[in-house]
Amino acid sequence: MVIDIKKSTSLPLKTLERFRQVNDTFPRTEQILEHKRQGNKVFGWLCTYVPEEIIHAAGILPVRVTGYSQEMELEDGNAYMYINNCSYSRSCLQMGLRGEYEFLDGMVAGSTCDGARRLLDLWQHYIKTPFHHILTIPRKYTEKAHALYYQQVVQFEESLEEFIGQQITDEQLHQSIDVYNRSRDLLKQLYELRKSDAPPVSGAETMEVLNASFRMPKELFNQWLEQLLDELGKSSVAHEGRARLMVVGSVMNNPEFIRSIEALGGLVVTDELCTSTRYWSDPVVLEEGQDPVGAISKRYLNNFPCARMVPSDERFNRILNLIKDFKVNGVISQIIRYCVPYAHDLPLLIDRLKGVGVPVLALDVEYGTSGSGQIQTRVQAFLEMLEARKR
Amino acid sequence: MTVPETERSKISAIMRACRVINRMNQANPDAPKSEGLYYKMLSDYYTRLLNAHDEGKFIAAHTVFFPSEILYAMDIVPMHTEMTTWMIALFLGGQAEILSAGAELGLVPEICSPHRGLAGAFSLGALPRPDAMLWSNLICDNTAKSGELIMEMKKCPGFFLDHPFQRSETEDKYLISELEDMIGFLEGKSGRKMDWDKLSDIVAKMDRQIELFREIGELRKAVPSPFPNRGFLQLLTVDYLCPGQQDAIDYLEALRDELAEMVREKKGAVSPERFRLMTLFVPPMYLIGFMEKIGREHGAISVVEPLFTRWAEGRLDPSRPLESVAKKAAMIPERRSMYGPLGQEALQDLIDCAEQYRVDGAVYWAFMGCRHTCATVKLFKDLLNEVDVPMLTIDCDIVDPTINSEDEIREKLEQFFELLEDR
Repeated sequence: MVIDIKKSTSLPLKTLERFRQVNDTFPRTEQILEHKRQGNKVFGWLCTYVPEEIIHAAGILPVRVTGYSQEMELEDGNAYMYINNCSYSRSCLQMGLRGEYEFLDGMVAGSTCDGARRLLDLWQHYIKTPFHHILTIPRKYTEKAHALYYQQVVQFEESLEEFIGQQITDEQLHQSIDVYNRSRDLLKQLYELRKSDAPPVSGAETMEVLNASFRMPKELFNQWLEQLLDELGKSSVAHEGRARLMVVGSVMNNPEFIRSIEALGGLVVTDELCTSTRYWSDPVVLEEGQDPVGAISKRYLNNFPCARMVPSDERFNRILNLIKDFKVNGVISQIIRYCVPYAHDLPLLIDRLKGVGVPVLALDVEYGTSGSGQIQTRVQAFLEMLEARKR
Repeated sequence: MTVPETERSKISAIMRACRVINRMNQANPDAPKSEGLYYKMLSDYYTRLLNAHDEGKFIAAHTVFFPSEILYAMDIVPMHTEMTTWMIALFLGGQAEILSAGAELGLVPEICSPHRGLAGAFSLGALPRPDAMLWSNLICDNTAKSGELIMEMKKCPGFFLDHPFQRSETEDKYLISELEDMIGFLEGKSGRKMDWDKLSDIVAKMDRQIELFREIGELRKAVPSPFPNRGFLQLLTVDYLCPGQQDAIDYLEALRDELAEMVREKKGAVSPERFRLMTLFVPPMYLIGFMEKIGREHGAISVVEPLFTRWAEGRLDPSRPLESVAKKAAMIPERRSMYGPLGQEALQDLIDCAEQYRVDGAVYWAFMGCRHTCATVKLFKDLLNEVDVPMLTIDCDIVDPTINSEDEIREKLEQFFELLEDR
């Protein structure tokens, strides 16, 4: 069954409905509330440089703190964080201030960007979640930078142990690594399906799966994703579009934004987002007898980089590889206003993409946007241009 | 990405402007000695930069809060990128041209204007071509991200200095190792060797400079306060351009002596002194003259700037020069409240400042390009409220005059002065 991506709003994927339910009820999902009812702890984390496995190994449910699922008025976010901080951090802060994350026992961030570190400062001051921690995240990949980050992860582990009153064992860390690596492997399989000329899953659906991946226990997520992959394997659905697109840029987790692009016939086949590929792409490689914390810290600093890292070509090269692997015709860059790391990189990225003949549509957006009329007009024009290039 | 070099260097224009001001000061018998020394220091800095390539010297462009002590010790000519952009704005009114050039490079308006401006200035060929670009993440994402575009435009090598976010023994060691790597990079690219004796001497002078900053800070506690509103921008300039340099010490000593004399004579920078203000962040550069004027009209004087002139405790040790350079990065006023985690100590310091300097009100210049600073507006307002200090917030841009008019700022300040008067 070939489905025109413009009409692919309802697909018969039963497991996807489960993921949707998690996302629709987040942050107060059934799974989080049940975890709390059993007397367990839940921690929020803010960026992909926070090593989730350490939290998981402590018996704590790690949940990614995200903002509203749509573009919202951010009165409290603006008042507490000022209008010139990115709408992602303002949105998260507002949800925190309004008690939407009151179930959190801890909040962990990295010194990733100005927005993230200030968000933690204000969270600490005004929201007063019982445990707070920020990791210094080096911006380089040198051996010394790895040594520093390793020490930061060890320090975080020690603080966590003090908070929960017990030690995190190597066995627990090994188990967590296995669970998280399984998740990464399954997500990789999902992405592999998108390399085909007519993938069985759309970009918007993939984002729904990814959103659930950091909002529920990983063990359960893995079970569900296995079922979804099984369903997709048997499915005769095949999405086709006017052009194969990649989405890059700031943090973004609203599937409606992708859906609005796909509604115009653009098939989103891959991405470079911290909520998507950059979240799952690299596994923790644990050699026999190796210190698990060392393996975890190595993975997180070496992972598909955020625009904060230096040199930027590490990120650009990964993007270029994805373009080749996923046969991408055009790139949509969506940068949240005041997201400075990505904004600074954009002229250089456009230059690199021009070098390989891939056009870029650069959109300035607010976090949670679902693709307004103006964005639709620009995407439509971009698709027409890509089609004209094919002829 | 290639940008044609032009001969339209604005450096010589900055230098000429400084010299003109200096000649005017010399012609005025009432002008303080420190003013002359300040403009001579500026003029010499830009003269060195302008002549560097003719004299076969190596120019290293660097972002703000960069340890240029190391460059001076290696006889490398520093070019402070943000400060030079500010100077272009301040002396030459060239903001529109350089900001427009920055926009043409694809830099969006949300990127802070000094960084858009400096990229624009490089693309116009308004600044000398650097032989190396040095940049760091102290103090924000803009500084962290501004180097690579310039390297590419000017086809020069570069080094990124990675500053750890927090302080611990491991993080301090990391910063020192970063400095060592940078020295290695500079030695390789410039062919010059680090002169460790010279660096020790510079560190000793920097220690003296910090001491003088603190002495000046103490004198400003006097009622009436002797230091004019424009003064603190000069203090910033000294540290940004000439850390550990004798001409900076000469200026600061002259200034300290002049202020001490004013305190002895109970003379204030404005008379009568009616409102003692805390300044948070920086007023627009192009309004310095206006700030002096409105200060005199209303008896309003900035007595303390916790984000910029309040150095942390500690001394530098010339026998451990590299460790001292790293230590200085942790002592600079901006580090505590703008870059590092906003712990209780940093917040308490704000309250201490309000009390020690007998502040009547605070003015927060909310520079829209500085996101992480603006994120503290409400927090600081709440804290100051606890010690009964009202705070006025003014949205602004420090180099782009199209954001606010002088009239608008006057109206806001005058309303604030009325509020202070009523109290």
